[in-house]
Amino acid sequence: MSTLRHAVADLGAERFEYAASRRFATWLACCIGVTVLLTALSLLVGTTSLEDSLKWLLSPDAQSSVVLWQIRLPRTVGAWFAGALLGLAGAVAQGVFRNPLADPYLLGTASGAALGVTVCLMAADASIGGLALMGQIGVTGAACIGACAATLLTVTLSRGVLQTASLLLSGIVTAFLLSAVTSLLLLTKPEIWREMQTFLLGSTSFISWSSATLLGIVLCICIVPAVLLSRGLDALTLGEDTAQSLGLSLPWLRLGLLGMVALATSTSVGQVGIVGFVGLVAPHLVRETISVNHRQLLIAAPLGGGALLQAADLVSRWIIRPAELPVGAVTACVGGAYLVFLLWRRSRDG
Amino acid sequence: MAEARPQLAPLPSVLSCRDLSVAYGSRTVFEDVSLEICVGQWTAVVGPNGSGKSTLLRTLAGLTAPKTGTIHLQGRRLSAWPRRERARNLAWLAQTAAPTELTAAEVVALGRFAHSGWLAHRKAQDDASMHRAMRATGSLAWAQRRLSTLSGGERQRVHLARVLAVEAPVLLLDEPTTHLDPPHQEDVARLLREQAHRCGVSVVSAIHDLSLALTADRLIVLGRRGVVGHGTIRDALAGDWLSAAFCTRVDIVEHGGVHLWKPALAAPDLER
Repeated sequence: MSTLRHAVADLGAERFEYAASRRFATWLACCIGVTVLLTALSLLVGTTSLEDSLKWLLSPDAQSSVVLWQIRLPRTVGAWFAGALLGLAGAVAQGVFRNPLADPYLLGTASGAALGVTVCLMAADASIGGLALMGQIGVTGAACIGACAATLLTVTLSRGVLQTASLLLSGIVTAFLLSAVTSLLLLTKPEIWREMQTFLLGSTSFISWSSATLLGIVLCICIVPAVLLSRGLDALTLGEDTAQSLGLSLPWLRLGLLGMVALATSTSVGQVGIVGFVGLVAPHLVRETISVNHRQLLIAAPLGGGALLQAADLVSRWIIRPAELPVGAVTACVGGAYLVFLLWRRSRDG
Repeated sequence: MAEARPQLAPLPSVLSCRDLSVAYGSRTVFEDVSLEICVGQWTAVVGPNGSGKSTLLRTLAGLTAPKTGTIHLQGRRLSAWPRRERARNLAWLAQTAAPTELTAAEVVALGRFAHSGWLAHRKAQDDASMHRAMRATGSLAWAQRRLSTLSGGERQRVHLARVLAVEAPVLLLDEPTTHLDPPHQEDVARLLREQAHRCGVSVVSAIHDLSLALTADRLIVLGRRGVVGHGTIRDALAGDWLSAAFCTRVDIVEHGGVHLWKPALAAPDLER
């Protein structure tokens, strides 16, 4: 009897996972291939011409190796990590809120980070008592602290993580509130507006090896609980009640995953500013091309997000070289166009 | 009608509630409901729309907190059960399931959620349970299909398989026959009876179709103000509980050993 049971069990569930994992493997291979290609390309693109960059690569000297290995490589690696963090956070947020339109910034992290940066720049500008401290924390630290504080405010306003609807609303309230404060502060100090602009539009140009390392470490920290909790996210797709009846603890799942989303977004916002659409589009791209369960999604979405931001970084450096576009503007254009395409296809199909 | 059975000792109860009242805000759904769910019996819950069939099942499943009253599962207060242990002993099926992109096999595998840890991989034992459940509901053929590509009835059978895969001693099913065509409704009824009689599972299901509900072992009849009656089909028919619950005359006729609900509406004149 037991051998029969095993034989039929093999027929049922096991085989399908094989078929699905083949498409999944194709996706992973594509993402990794694209990433390698983009990394190679990004070494060649910069203020110098392509020929010069090629010459640098083939016969490096002291100056060129600094440009290639200390400026261009950390930048593209950091962009990949930041994109991966946003893709992961977006996929988790969409799962937790059971809403395909959720994005990593819905807990108010973006406006919190903007406020943090504004305060930091103002303090530096005014050279008041806080200057020494602010100088140590730096703009990226201030953005990170602001994002974390905004998340805390959102969770406090919604009185915990029990109600998804009130969490979403609190996120919106927090975002508006903090944006209003930021605008007020900027009114009193218009001269820091230009510096703020770089941050608000997102920029990968400040990434050094240390910030790329930080992004990489945070990605490793975040992906572990995300993948471990992925079956909980699968259960959640059946509805909150059903998930609970299956033995899932909703508050703990939400707390763990939203904490992860907050950590991932605040780190990436701190290093590359507010880059929109990557967190929204990367999970969509995965779901549209290969429909998957959450364990696969939470591995595929960061890979896709990383490649997306890397590509956007490359485009932003290429289009009007030797000058640069803000990378957030590129992701907004590409992401917006992709969403419009999705809408158009939906309305056509049905 | 079968001949009168000898009076047996009361069946042991696996799930019971005492003086249960549930309210959504200020609106009371039902008050002072006391029930004993018997081991190895299929109990159908019937009643008019809004009488609280779903709420009763949700409350018994621990998903809706009662205003007053207590619920005991296997002699232990429901709220005192550890979450996962309770999920292994009490399975619940929602009236409508949220759409999901998961495959049928992945959905049924979620029924084994409380048996394996979050990290643990599915064991051969879990696969065997999944397989049994999918074969029993006739959903094995779609194991590899995504739920979004299945019809409503097929989807319902997959969710039923998910509930069976839990292999819990108590099943609470909210309208397990919705979206199913009549032959498949009968299959589900047969399945529930088999689960109860052969596997000793206590099944409680809200059922819309009165004729189908009357094939169950026991009946809980809910009216506008709580429980009208709770007992065997014979008790229900003798007491005319259905008419009392629906506040209108409900005719049940016996035909070839089954009880059927007879609409008061006359059939159209076929000769015309």
